[in-house]
Amino acid sequence: MSGLRSVAALFVLFVLVSSVSALGAMASAVESEAVSAVEGAEEAVAEAFGAVVEAERAGGNVSELLDRLDFAAAYLATAKMCLRTGEFDGAVGNASLCMGALEGLVDDAAALRANAVTASSARFGMAIGGSVVGVVAVVCGSVVGWRWFKQRHYARALAMKPEVADE
Amino acid sequence: MTLEDYRTLFMVGGLLLSLVAAVPGLSVVFSFPEGERFSELWLLGPGHMAEGYPFNVRTGELQGPVYVGVANHLGASQYYVVYVKFRNWTQPLPNVTISRASPLPMLYEFGFFLADGESWEAPVSFVIADAAFEGNISAVAALLINNRHFPVDLSSRWNVEREGFYYQLFFELWRYDVEAQEFRFHDRFVSLWLNMTAV
Repeated sequence: MSGLRSVAALFVLFVLVSSVSALGAMASAVESEAVSAVEGAEEAVAEAFGAVVEAERAGGNVSELLDRLDFAAAYLATAKMCLRTGEFDGAVGNASLCMGALEGLVDDAAALRANAVTASSARFGMAIGGSVVGVVAVVCGSVVGWRWFKQRHYARALAMKPEVADE
Repeated sequence: MTLEDYRTLFMVGGLLLSLVAAVPGLSVVFSFPEGERFSELWLLGPGHMAEGYPFNVRTGELQGPVYVGVANHLGASQYYVVYVKFRNWTQPLPNVTISRASPLPMLYEFGFFLADGESWEAPVSFVIADAAFEGNISAVAALLINNRHFPVDLSSRWNVEREGFYYQLFFELWRYDVEAQEFRFHDRFVSLWLNMTAV
């Protein structure tokens, strides 16, 4: 009878130890899932911002993209705070919302950058071309104007009647 | 006026008009000097003024809101983070002369993006959620910032000179460096002195 009790006690102990270690492993898995979700979201926000910066440097208007990034950054900040305070479900949830806010943003930034580069090249060409044409027009106009003025000046001088002044 | 004078007049006029015509081209080739580039960080009291900041605090008493704000004058869009930290009066603050943030753990944080010339502001309310006093020591176990609970486990000795149990809630400004691909302390912080008065 006492042997049976010992076996039962050992079985209960085994079940308890197994449960505790299983719960520990589950908690650890949840934590590592949260950590990797937040790290993934951090990298995604940084990548998206890099793409937006490129678009801005090319001369694109990035205000709409920044608004979308702002949502993502707010979710990311909440996810990081959840992670620090041990709210792993909250961390995963907010990291997922962050990723959702970033959907398509890198592609949109790349498209904006491409458009901005094209527009910038056109603006550059217009500015340089316009200036060159303008300067050439001014120089030619000045030369032609000067010649016309000089001929008119000589013609007026020749048309004058000389007068002999008394000494 | 002689013909020589007229010629000089034509040449000067032509030169001036040429310069005017060249301005669009020159403006894309040369960059003109710009103003000073910097970021602003501020902390305002509950009335949106630089007054009425919380100072004497008790356990469980809601403080604020105070308003933390940032403005971007860096000439390009920026990714900022404001970290809220809490310390007793003997623990280190950030050192802006050597660009070093406080080593204390961050509690609350705000992340946001600002285009050049834009500003951002957010309310911050807080509660000393759990504090105790024993002799010349006070201890704060937890802090609620914008309804989010943070265990802090911090104690402060009685400050003989200023007669109080002093703590400081401070806000560090960090900026994402695109080239280095990491956040860097942006050499700016603002703070609130708090005197724990009673449980």
